[in-house]
Amino acid sequence: MMYVRALPTTDVNRNTEWFTYPGVWTTYILILFFSWLLVLSIFNCSPGMAWTIVHLAHFSVTYHLFHWKKGTPFGDDQGIYNRLTWWEQIDNGKQLTRNRKFLTLVPVVLYLIASHTTDYQNPMLFLNTLAVFIMVVAKFPHMHKVRIFGINADQ
Amino acid sequence: MITIPYLTAVSTYFSYGLLFAFGQLRDYSRRIFDWWSTNNLHGYAPICLAHEDFYIRRLYHRIQDCFGRPISSAPDAWVDVVERFSNDNNKTLKRTTKSTRCLNLGSYNYLGFGSYDEYCTPLVIESLKKFSPSTCSSRVDAGTTSVHAELEECVAKYVGKPAAIVTGMGYATNSAIIPVLIGKGGLIISDSLNHTSIVNGARGSGATIRVFQHNTPAHLERVLKEQIAEGQPRTHRPWKKIIVVVEGIYSMEGEICQLPEIVSICKKYKAYVYLDEAHSIGAIGKTGRGVCELLGVDTADVDIMMGTFTKSFGSCGGYIAGSKDLIQYLKYHCPAHLYATSISTPSAQQIISAIKVILGEDGSNRGAQKLARIRENSNFFRAELQKMGFEVLGDNDSPVMPIMLYNPAKIPAFSRECLRENVAVVVVGFPATPLLLARARICISASHSREDLLKALQVISKAGDLTGIKYFPAAPKKQEEEKDTIKLD
Repeated sequence: MMYVRALPTTDVNRNTEWFTYPGVWTTYILILFFSWLLVLSIFNCSPGMAWTIVHLAHFSVTYHLFHWKKGTPFGDDQGIYNRLTWWEQIDNGKQLTRNRKFLTLVPVVLYLIASHTTDYQNPMLFLNTLAVFIMVVAKFPHMHKVRIFGINADQ
Repeated sequence: MITIPYLTAVSTYFSYGLLFAFGQLRDYSRRIFDWWSTNNLHGYAPICLAHEDFYIRRLYHRIQDCFGRPISSAPDAWVDVVERFSNDNNKTLKRTTKSTRCLNLGSYNYLGFGSYDEYCTPLVIESLKKFSPSTCSSRVDAGTTSVHAELEECVAKYVGKPAAIVTGMGYATNSAIIPVLIGKGGLIISDSLNHTSIVNGARGSGATIRVFQHNTPAHLERVLKEQIAEGQPRTHRPWKKIIVVVEGIYSMEGEICQLPEIVSICKKYKAYVYLDEAHSIGAIGKTGRGVCELLGVDTADVDIMMGTFTKSFGSCGGYIAGSKDLIQYLKYHCPAHLYATSISTPSAQQIISAIKVILGEDGSNRGAQKLARIRENSNFFRAELQKMGFEVLGDNDSPVMPIMLYNPAKIPAFSRECLRENVAVVVVGFPATPLLLARARICISASHSREDLLKALQVISKAGDLTGIKYFPAAPKKQEEEKDTIKLD
């Protein structure tokens, strides 16, 4: 049985401190892999199509959760994070930490796998490229707290 | 330091992800249904934002029957738990008139003062008849009786400080006093696992807050050095005051604070120490004087000592003990003293009598017996649980022992299984603990007898086997039978 040590973190934001414990990265990768298997068994399509579907579904789910929803799912922090998306809250707002680098890398790797397994054919390539472009730009350090054209800004 | 099996960590994340996904699906379908149904609240703003109580509605309500169980007797070693039932899948719970007698492993009844006591209760009833249940006034108006004055002297002498001030509510002691002690331009450095009352008081004070890694004096020193060098945010002027807030026993971990190292670091960098002894006063130390006595720290080195009377003394309220100047300042400025109703007089009498019993001033040695018994009970229980293979946190001598559960499904499973066998335990999950680290918290009392503890061990072992929380290998049974037969010869 493999054991890991869990050191308590200094992150007081209960919405994001779970991401600092061991095992999260592995769980994320395993969820992506198993959803690929699930898509293959449901749609009976080619592996490349399945990776494209996983990549686009991953894009919509993570864009909504990381860059669109703001605040925390509990009321006891009195709303101090109500204007910040999850991406802006993790690691206390510090940029370029290991967690952020990992989360930026995952969509890029998924893009490479999806485009390679579909042989860079056209409708899929365009959609995949658009998705990864939006994902990576949203995670740039310069985009911290930036709301383009007021989209998703507060009243 | 918590050691988790890797597979358990991965499966716990996956379970929470699944619960979150189902919660979101239910929220979407509810929104679609509500869009179709008519609504006569058009034009009103919503009372709370939909995502703010997501956790309460979709995760907490599903297992609501494990929390907030009403009791119908005094919280002694055995307690009457009221039975409840639900007709709509735990969204609402209805009480019945029946109750079951359960072994109480959840009350903070460390010294057994939680129910009838032969010395304290008659004195409390006398004081109730003489003074009435409430003083109906704040301390500065007409709410100070001779009992209140005696209580403050008694507490100051017991804790080992020149003076003390007592308030009617333990939580309010922290959240009302910290804003009085420090304001904007000051720095509060608090342990990452401090209680919500301290967090609320710190946020309400307006000072800058920094957090250091739990119980790690080296990290505290690093944070202090950095912050003193940088000064106040933006202006970089020196800080007006630095207060380091730590707790004696951390109620969710059962760990005892590393006070000597922290006090020496604070002396080096000239920061004040605020010690919250809610769980450690009356429960540890040779005469029950708390973590300072246990670790051999001089009470003159700790600047502000705070504690509550709800745990070991069987009463209500909290106190702050410090130098005479500090207490005089608090009496002039603290809103909990100037405006809040003073502590009820019979409760104050209960505290005074409990302190007298602990110190042996009532003429018997029951106090020393209780302290010895709680230490024995805690060490025995912890050792037995660890032998069975459970992961139990906390230091030796601490009466609080959390048993790690981790998976969210095990939280209600363990709690309901124990209740079926008539043992009442408290389970804690996210957000009171970190997401991964859900636990069942056992509080041992001096009124638990050896049979009670053995029954508890048997029930917990059975529940542990059913839910699969024995994460460590069990200790092999030693050849005790052979040794016994040799001794009998």
